[in-house]
Amino acid sequence: MTDFLPILRGIHGVWLREIMRATRDRGQLLGGVSRPLIWLLILGVGLNPYFRGEVFGEVRLVLPYNYLQFLFPAVIVLNIMYTSIQFAVSVIWDREFGFLREVLVSPMPRWAVLLGKVLGGATAATGHGILVLILARFADVTLTPLEVVEAIIYMFMLSFALTCFGVVLAGKVRSFEGFGVFSNTVILPLYFASSSVFPLDPSLTRTQLVVTYPEWLVALIRVNPITYAVDVLRGILIGFNQFPPYIGLGLVAAGMVVFFFMALRGFGK
Amino acid sequence: MTTQDTPAEPAVLVQGVSLRYGSQIALEDVSLEISRGSSFALLGPNGAGKTSLMSVLATLRTADAGRVVVAGHDVNRAPRKVRESIGMVFQDASLDDRLTAEENLDFHGRVYGMPGNARRSATDRVLELVELSEWREAPVRTFSGGMKRRLEIARALMHDPEILFLDEPTVGLDAQTRERIWTYLDNERHTRGLTLLTTTHYIEEVDRADWICIIDKGRVIAQGSPSDLKQKHGKPYLHVVAALPEIRSALLDTYPDARTTGPEQISIPADGEEFVPEFLSRFGSRLHEIRFEAPTLEAAFLNLTGRTLRDRADGEREAQRAAGRRAGRQ
Repeated sequence: MTDFLPILRGIHGVWLREIMRATRDRGQLLGGVSRPLIWLLILGVGLNPYFRGEVFGEVRLVLPYNYLQFLFPAVIVLNIMYTSIQFAVSVIWDREFGFLREVLVSPMPRWAVLLGKVLGGATAATGHGILVLILARFADVTLTPLEVVEAIIYMFMLSFALTCFGVVLAGKVRSFEGFGVFSNTVILPLYFASSSVFPLDPSLTRTQLVVTYPEWLVALIRVNPITYAVDVLRGILIGFNQFPPYIGLGLVAAGMVVFFFMALRGFGK
Repeated sequence: MTTQDTPAEPAVLVQGVSLRYGSQIALEDVSLEISRGSSFALLGPNGAGKTSLMSVLATLRTADAGRVVVAGHDVNRAPRKVRESIGMVFQDASLDDRLTAEENLDFHGRVYGMPGNARRSATDRVLELVELSEWREAPVRTFSGGMKRRLEIARALMHDPEILFLDEPTVGLDAQTRERIWTYLDNERHTRGLTLLTTTHYIEEVDRADWICIIDKGRVIAQGSPSDLKQKHGKPYLHVVAALPEIRSALLDTYPDARTTGPEQISIPADGEEFVPEFLSRFGSRLHEIRFEAPTLEAAFLNLTGRTLRDRADGEREAQRAAGRRAGRQ
């Protein structure tokens, strides 16, 4: 217990620093607000009329939801992905400018330093997710208090896993420029090759699905973990799941553990 | 042994330490001992292995061979105890520019596991020590280089360490700030027996140390008190001004170790007691000015490490840092 309290103080200190840095970074905050607004206002509103199809001669919504509702959980995940993975820039920053050494020479174990940093990044990313959640009414999504709590808990789990993933990436990249290119080549393909902006299996027949989407795209989407991560949040927020929710929950929980240990291996080297 | 010949356990004990980065030797069979409460200076050209040795002592790197004991704790067996006992001031700035002075110190206190009351009183004490109490709520990005360095020293002293490692603590600072920093450190040393281990390029600062260790190419090449090193390895010099070119040529021909050090000035190593009278009898009447320079640490340092420039590794590292800074501004 006597050893545990100082470590807890240290984790809290590292977490607090990340929160202070995130809240003082106006650029990051601006991105956190403008990104979902652009997606929802332009993409969501613009494509809303096309989110319907002709089934057996009858024109109706592809899903029992409009496009804004369908896109809304995906925009939350996008905001979380950007903030979590971009958080790794702070790891590179700390490494380049010596701040990491200051912490690594302290009595805090490395796992505790990493845990504090990841918790800080995950909190900031969850905060950016909540910024989108506030727009729920605008996207015609009605939420009960329980759904809000469930969504925030899940968003935090996802943020934690993605922040660890970002730290793993940061361990592979040695410069800011490199990370910028690297992160964009990771975030955007992962996002678009998931079922984030279009439904993989709309309420049409299997025959029509194959006609609509090429097999390679369907296969890509099915192996992309972000597909399942978005699907869980969609289930919580609009009650629509394309897959059993336990798959997404299991993947996110596994990601939290696996990516944390992978990040720990490279952290502070 | 260092200047303080006490039976107490040394603050730092290094025995036969070697470290390699791939095929490159960073440290080879390094041994030294630092007495408690003393000021120990590690001197060496760029790339000599000073920072590598500091990293091993601070548990940031593990030596390939040898034994290191810091504050009574083996760095491999009890790294956490070692970290609790040391404070570290790095060569490069390591403060968080987005936080205030107080927030930087508070953060440091938290990662050292200090409870709230202890953090608050330590913050007051160290800010007062480095004369930054009035700046406690100012963001660090508004600080000058000297203020940042003073704050880093304050931060390293927050948790009351037994030993303070200072890697080039005064590089790039003006003379006033350098003097002030050494005053703070000497105060801490005399009031509570803090042990100092410093690397520096400023020879005049090394002169303040109790014990100097000169390191080059990863090896310890000399150790001793400043006066010992000056006597053993420093050379006295005669600096003479000769207006006529033929006199200067004659001097350079007569004394192969002589060097031209100015338009009409030549510097000649003045080894041996009979050198000066003999020199004066041969050339004294034909010279415009003669000045005798007693042995210096700088001369001792150059004699031991040579005059070849060692700035390549530093240049490469600086270029990397500059690229990082440029990217950070984008």
